[in-house]
Amino acid sequence: MSSPISVIREPLVRGHKTYHQITEDLISPTEKTPGKGWIIGFILSVSILAFGIFCILWTIWHGIGTWDLNRTIGWGWDITNFVWWIGIGHAGTLISAILLLFRQKWRTGVNRAAEAMTIFAVMCAGLFPLIHMGRIWMAMFIFPYPNTRGPLWPNFNSPLLWDVFAISTYFTVSLLFWYTGLVPDFATVRDRASGFRKKIYNFLSFGWTGSAKHWQRWEALSLVLAGIATPLVLSVHTIVSFDFATSVIPGWHTTIFPPYFVAGAIFSGFAMVLTLMIVTRKILNLQEYITIAHIESMNKVIVVTGTIVGVAYLTELFIAWYSGYVYEQFAFFNRAFGPYWWSYFGMMFCNVLSPQIFWSRKMRRNITVTFWISILINVGMWFERFVIIATTLARDYLPSSWSLYSPTWVEIGIFIGTMGLFSTLYLIFCRVAPVVAVAEVKSILKTAGDQYTGPDAIYHGHNHGHGGGVHGIIEGTDYHAMHGHGGHGGHGDHGGHGGHQEHTDHRAHETHSHAATATAKETGAQVAGASTAAAASQKMDYNIPDYGGLKDDLTKIEGIGPKTERALNSVGINSFAALSEMEVDVIQDILDKADGNFLSSPESWPEQAQLAAEGRWSELQVLQDKLNGGKY
Amino acid sequence: MSTYISDSPTHFEFTSRHRTILMVGIALGVICLGMTWMVDDDFHSRFWSNLLHNSVFFTGIALMAGFFLCVCIMAWAGWHTVFKRVWEAMSMNLLVGLIFMTIIALVTYMHGNHLYHWADVAGYTAENDQVLIGKSGFLNKNVYLGFTVVFVGLWLFFMSRIRNLSIAEDSDGDASFSHHHKMRWYAALFLPLVGFSSAAMIWQWIMSIDAHWYSTMFAWYTGASWFVSMMCFTVLSLIYLKGKGYYPEVTDEHIHDIGKFIFAFSIFWTYLWFSQYMLIWYANVGEETIYFRERMDKYPILFYGNLIVNFLLPFFVLMRNDTKRKFGSLGFVAGVVFVGHWIDFFLMIKPGVAINTHHALGHGAHGDGHGDAHGHGAEHAGDHGHGVADAAGHGVEHASEFILGTSFPGFLELGTMIGFLSLFIFVFFTVLSKARLVPTNDPYLEESLHHHV
Repeated sequence: MSSPISVIREPLVRGHKTYHQITEDLISPTEKTPGKGWIIGFILSVSILAFGIFCILWTIWHGIGTWDLNRTIGWGWDITNFVWWIGIGHAGTLISAILLLFRQKWRTGVNRAAEAMTIFAVMCAGLFPLIHMGRIWMAMFIFPYPNTRGPLWPNFNSPLLWDVFAISTYFTVSLLFWYTGLVPDFATVRDRASGFRKKIYNFLSFGWTGSAKHWQRWEALSLVLAGIATPLVLSVHTIVSFDFATSVIPGWHTTIFPPYFVAGAIFSGFAMVLTLMIVTRKILNLQEYITIAHIESMNKVIVVTGTIVGVAYLTELFIAWYSGYVYEQFAFFNRAFGPYWWSYFGMMFCNVLSPQIFWSRKMRRNITVTFWISILINVGMWFERFVIIATTLARDYLPSSWSLYSPTWVEIGIFIGTMGLFSTLYLIFCRVAPVVAVAEVKSILKTAGDQYTGPDAIYHGHNHGHGGGVHGIIEGTDYHAMHGHGGHGGHGDHGGHGGHQEHTDHRAHETHSHAATATAKETGAQVAGASTAAAASQKMDYNIPDYGGLKDDLTKIEGIGPKTERALNSVGINSFAALSEMEVDVIQDILDKADGNFLSSPESWPEQAQLAAEGRWSELQVLQDKLNGGKY
Repeated sequence: MSTYISDSPTHFEFTSRHRTILMVGIALGVICLGMTWMVDDDFHSRFWSNLLHNSVFFTGIALMAGFFLCVCIMAWAGWHTVFKRVWEAMSMNLLVGLIFMTIIALVTYMHGNHLYHWADVAGYTAENDQVLIGKSGFLNKNVYLGFTVVFVGLWLFFMSRIRNLSIAEDSDGDASFSHHHKMRWYAALFLPLVGFSSAAMIWQWIMSIDAHWYSTMFAWYTGASWFVSMMCFTVLSLIYLKGKGYYPEVTDEHIHDIGKFIFAFSIFWTYLWFSQYMLIWYANVGEETIYFRERMDKYPILFYGNLIVNFLLPFFVLMRNDTKRKFGSLGFVAGVVFVGHWIDFFLMIKPGVAINTHHALGHGAHGDGHGDAHGHGAEHAGDHGHGVADAAGHGVEHASEFILGTSFPGFLELGTMIGFLSLFIFVFFTVLSKARLVPTNDPYLEESLHHHV
């Protein structure tokens, strides 16, 4: 168990979930037949995608002339869309890498879907430079390989080439990150599946068994990938910003572009995560895993990054004036009052003003408001790229070449087509993989589940005591007063748990070493002594339901042997009925505290005990055939 | 609410020995400033630039301590709570910053120094400079004085409010954490305030020394430099306090996290340095490259040393896990990087002041040919500071000259820095000794006490 949790933290897993329920809730969407909504959505997405593909083929067949680009405006919707999608692809890796390094627990609710979005968004983004080439079959020219074209190599001085490397590296690492996280979850899907489906998930999960060694390697790899991905999150949009800022075009050549693009990308990425997660949590009933607290945290990121972007906009605007450079000044005048003024004001309104509504806690926690603001930001961030690209190009140094640009149906079709691609991939993802990372949510359950923390906590005091035992080994510090204080009990429903537990903790601290072991031994000793008082106090600790003198043979439960049975009896669990009402982690805790090593996991015991208590022996038999030593 | 009880001293004792040592340090600073004044040129530019350099550097550290404390409050951080009094105490140095920056602003107002070309009226003036006329709405003595007083005053006000609430929480914190919730209000308002105002102040105080030059990145770059210095000071003070038996609650885990911040933000600082440098180098616009040309040609040791000390050293030393947990290695890096960022500020301020002073002093000899300082600078850049005898004669002479205190920090600069540092520590210790070291009723205290990575 981990350290104590401040009472003012909000729980991140609601509904008093057990580990088993988490598995049920999160895996089951991959096991059911898709609902009507999904099918309609899928058909719609695929149709849009098909139209997009048609438009791409149209472009390739007829040439770039089908777009409205001209000699003055060489980049239009294509590069706008490219930068927009790349930006959206920033939230996933930020959530999984940077928030992992910052130990933000709320990431576990949204990281899986956000990482998936990252990958899909980067795929959509990558399309645009490729088709913008016109002759897509020459795409291999961008790679530096020994060639027969004489001394003709890609221009290594060009940020456009750096983009190729930056984006492909980012895509690769994001994919690895996403897939690494999926491996244990695929194994969980596999263990519940049968037939051909089981074979597929077995293949996908790389033979994961969940051994301690696997987990240890998995955690090490996650941390290494987080370390690599963190600079990558910054580098990708930095290099995209170089595409503009290395030039000498007024409005593009400005040194703040790299960090400002990164902040903007995170901003737009979070907006898209919000848009999608609000829909997903509703359709898949994930409100207990993607709670209001998650949405509020994301809205805070939105207001922070939106304001950073605002500081950057104003910095640019101010320095344009400050520079005394008339071309720079004109570029900004043109943005605000030129032919595309609506996109500039749209950008300012959507990106800087609208997120400020999240200063209000009420608004941050309002799903409808959040949804519409996230849509506004998605639109606003598209405007931002359009402002930077088209508005600037439309008015170059030579007024005689000034031009205007409006997209043709082909360009619009390709853009909408990428949205079709994105939603098609996302909808498939929802069917084949758990949308919320099962293993990672389980990893925070004991520190962020609402049975452990927050106003509905039932184990809080207990959890805290144990946590203190493990981590509170600080020389020369007396924790007695701290532990005795009712504030943890601010959830005072544990008034009764009183003396025994605290006393144990305190003693454990005094030993200053192996506190957890000491706690366990001490508890064990008292239990072994079968002192009535100790047993009674233990009973209260664990809220063990009273079934009078009812006594069952608990060894009928797969995973429970005579020794385990004695340990359970000693705290007052004598019957199937009592066992069936226990939470898995409480049982685990009893075992941890009891004398001796118990290797079996109690995860299935309550379910087994339930069947046994109701006398459904044949069903119990079926269940036990599926179980492996009592494990699912 | 009950109170956290610790066996270790609850309060920091600011002993007379501390006072004596720090007073000696402050006296050294005063003496050095005095001596600087004596040996200085007619405009006392070395004196004023040293004063500006240190005032800006230490004000920024105090600001960043407050800023990061507010970031932690807003981000629901729980790891730092045991030692948050350190940041509170550091931020109270904003009072010192307010005094010194106001002095500088007032003297600038009265044309008592020649730090800023745009504020000059003697000889070499802004009046015939089209670029500076364009900027005069922002670069003028009224705005400089007004912004300095108002913004630094506001920063101080917010941090005082937050600190008072924090201390009040010790004695009458309640179960609803009303103090903490009020602190959140102040912190939330403080963050955007700093976001906008720090940029304005950095432009005024530092960027406007090179009045023709501009870079949109500059404010964030300078902010990152402040931030790293602040983290270095934090860890050094914690190592010292722990050595004296205070803060047994601050464990290797907390130190490790601060080490990570020094590591990460050294890289972030480098990222901003590189982005700014690379974009200016790539575009190769004379008005912009002159800034780096000046520094690379005339300050090569500081220019490249800046990168070695502030990037390579923390990057390679702190990459390992254990070096971030050991006081020896982390303390060493923090100390060197702290001085490294002080040098970074030297490099931001001194070259521009040198040019301004040079022009102001040499105006008579130059005549009208140098009305446009830019043209002058560009010529410099073109011939690398050698040759073109007549056109930039004075400049060449200047370029080849090595002036201690301008081209490189001398003993007087070092002594002044020690004086300012001693004053900073003096205020820091005074404030620290006034309240409990560990904020007993902070809602996150328990998490912080049991912080484990």
